[in-house]
Amino acid sequence: MELGRLIEEARAKLGSDLLEAGGVKPLLLRVKPERVVEAASLLKQRGFNHPLSVTGVDYPERKEIEVIYHVSRLEDKAVVALKVALSRDKPSLPSLRGVWPGVHLHERETWEMLGVRFEGHPELKRFLLQDDWEEGVYPLRRDYKLKPEV
Amino acid sequence: MPVRVAWGIQHPMSGHLTLYLDVDGDYVINTEPDVGYTHRGLEKTAEYRHFIQFVPIIERACNFDASNFALGYARAVEALMGVEVPERAKYLRVIAAELSRIMSHLYAQALLSMTGGFETMTVWSANDRELILDLLEMLTGARVTHTYIVPGGVRADLPEGFKGRSEEVLSYLERRIWDYYKMLFQNKTFQDRTMGVGVLSREEAIELGVTGPNLRASGVDFDTRRDDPYAAYDKLDFNVVVFKEGDSYTRALVRFYEIAESIKIIRQALKDLPEGPVKCKVPPALPKGEVYTRVETGRGELGIYLVGAGGNRPYRLKISAPSFRNLMGLIHLCRDVPMGDIPVIYYSFDILLLDVDR
Amino acid sequence: MSLPIPTPSPLEPLIPGLPPLPLPVLPPPLNKLVEFIATPDFIKLAVDLGLKLLLFPGLTFIMLYAMLAVWAERKLHARIHLRIGPYHVGPILGLFQLVADGIKLLGKEIITPKEAHKLGYHLAPLLIMVLSMTFLAFIPYFPIGEGRYWTIYYTEYSLLVILALTSLKPFIMILAGWASNNKYTTMGAMRAAFQLLAYEVPLMLSAASVVMLAGSFDLAKIAEAQAGMWYIVPCFLGFIVFFVATMAEICRRPLDIITAEQEIVFGPWTEYTGMEYGLIMMAEYVDVAVASFLVTMLFLGGWHGPGLHPLAWVLIKMGVMSVFFMIGRSVWPRLRIDQLLDAGWRKLIPVSLIQVVIALLLVQALKVMPA
Repeated sequence: MELGRLIEEARAKLGSDLLEAGGVKPLLLRVKPERVVEAASLLKQRGFNHPLSVTGVDYPERKEIEVIYHVSRLEDKAVVALKVALSRDKPSLPSLRGVWPGVHLHERETWEMLGVRFEGHPELKRFLLQDDWEEGVYPLRRDYKLKPEV
Repeated sequence: MPVRVAWGIQHPMSGHLTLYLDVDGDYVINTEPDVGYTHRGLEKTAEYRHFIQFVPIIERACNFDASNFALGYARAVEALMGVEVPERAKYLRVIAAELSRIMSHLYAQALLSMTGGFETMTVWSANDRELILDLLEMLTGARVTHTYIVPGGVRADLPEGFKGRSEEVLSYLERRIWDYYKMLFQNKTFQDRTMGVGVLSREEAIELGVTGPNLRASGVDFDTRRDDPYAAYDKLDFNVVVFKEGDSYTRALVRFYEIAESIKIIRQALKDLPEGPVKCKVPPALPKGEVYTRVETGRGELGIYLVGAGGNRPYRLKISAPSFRNLMGLIHLCRDVPMGDIPVIYYSFDILLLDVDR
Repeated sequence: MSLPIPTPSPLEPLIPGLPPLPLPVLPPPLNKLVEFIATPDFIKLAVDLGLKLLLFPGLTFIMLYAMLAVWAERKLHARIHLRIGPYHVGPILGLFQLVADGIKLLGKEIITPKEAHKLGYHLAPLLIMVLSMTFLAFIPYFPIGEGRYWTIYYTEYSLLVILALTSLKPFIMILAGWASNNKYTTMGAMRAAFQLLAYEVPLMLSAASVVMLAGSFDLAKIAEAQAGMWYIVPCFLGFIVFFVATMAEICRRPLDIITAEQEIVFGPWTEYTGMEYGLIMMAEYVDVAVASFLVTMLFLGGWHGPGLHPLAWVLIKMGVMSVFFMIGRSVWPRLRIDQLLDAGWRKLIPVSLIQVVIALLLVQALKVMPA
């Protein structure tokens, strides 16, 4: 199914909660956090079932943390980037494990590095960092500075 | 009554990964990986480095397949900047990448045969890998982490005598891998240990995000070199190796046939090598914008998400490493298996903890 | 009722001309022992046993064999790997590697794990070494004329004794594994017990076919009976089964899953360091020697052969069998534990039963045929 029709369908389903759509590779869809599960299910129905990565980017000047899901469809090798912007004070998002089982570890890492809470994720605990890392310190945020000799 | 055993770091055969296994008798009920032993914070370091300075660092994200990782990073930076590398550089990149891929697959085969107690195959594979390392040293100056592929091209041209020497090595390797086939893949004991062990079905493989030879062994015909081409792969002719069964034996077999395919690709690249410069000028700063590109490394598909903010340091660099995605497959498969199968499944997935941790 | 008062009995003096030795007076059974010690027979026995225990098949033989076996195994293993192997120590390219390793192990600290059962932990390597060497005591090595054989203890049931003693090995491994206070070692010990118990049945059945043909449990008589034809010819299946079963009993690759590094570090012997580890390694090589001797005596005709001294033939045959045991380490991958037990029970036992039937038929045929 062509990506143009996909954008139409998403617009029809999500209405004004679809904030941005465009681009070719990857096709970009930006949604509001409340509708992300619906958007993800729509993508999965249209055949995007191969999760590629989950990224979080910290934009302190915009006071938001952006979480991006990249998924692909193997039949026509298309890639979609599903973006969600969360407020920086309490970033939280429903977990998309039910839609794409493969994002389990990616979400765990994003929580650990950026502090984004994924509601419904059963195992949000230390993954890459050591076990006695301080709570509440998220290394990939821009206000965590590495020591000068780095 | 399940006992929790740490198949862990202080173990001769576990590599850097700790798997906490819940074992009942001889059967593993559940497994919980404990990663992070080699976490170096590469993604955070990228925000503090000039984008050229990061090239050696991204190669350390996976030591044993360094040029493919550097190629992924270079592809991302060039896509962000909109720079097109010269033709000769593309072919040289293919040569370095494929030699790196052969190196990685031979090492994976060596480790897998060690799990079967078959040290002979381990030493033979490592022995032949030395020839490839010598070739890479001739080409790039270093054996394992090459720092050869940079954004803008490659760092140096082909040395004298490389074509002759590489033809010798490749024709020797071509004959030699069929010895490996007879000794390892037709060995009844090895087949008993790996056939039917760790079967991953097609749907499971796609949904879990498993990538690379593991995906192709489960019946999915996808290879980033052919389907999302980069460097000179769209002009080269090679087969994508796909099998249906999805067990450990076929995963090892896919890697084995990919070695043969890589030899073909290197030969073609050396023959079709065009003249020209090997490097082009690259703007001194990363423009604003973001890009997601992917390449096919020996372990699977590497995705790089790069956000530029106008300076010469990346704003955010996310490495979506192949072993990280394959780890999901490992966790899913290590349920209700006898304990003797755990190392076999682990090494057949070719998970190296270096790129899980970054 | 009081015991009778023992009276010293008159004895011949050891050296003629000297007065009789004053002997301690002991209650009845012990005074026979004391009498025996003072006789020339005892000196002869002591000299004989001393020679055997110290030279062949005792300490010196074990040391020399272990040195050669370590060297040969590592060289063979290396050559199959296209490497060189031990190179520096010794007159011919690494011959004294065992000596170098032994000195290194002597210098290492013997660690006891916390909360291990100390007595069991330190006793197990000694017991395993003692057990392996005990097998050597019962094998008759070569005849020394008039129906007597060079052996430490001659019994008519020597094969039976040896096979019975192999059943002790799982217990010692379980002792070692449990006393180490370690999950891995306990699991490894359980696997070891399964493996060794499983393979005793084919071992005994294939030995039984040889016993039937020879008509005796005595290894000397079995070897004597092979004067015309080695038993490997009628009992070829038994030879194969016996070879595989002994490989399982002494835990050599491809049947060494219990010491598989890949999963359970080193099985029941994980926690041993220093000279205790050295004893365990030595016990493995002594086991190879015992297994080679057994195969030689049972199937390869013992000391029979043209030309050379019988001892030389025994050593040559035993050396060839040792090399076969060693090549197994380089050439075959390991079987998983359930595949190993499957092979033992479902494949080896029927083959050995067929061999027993063949041996029975042969015995009947030989009885019926004119002599």
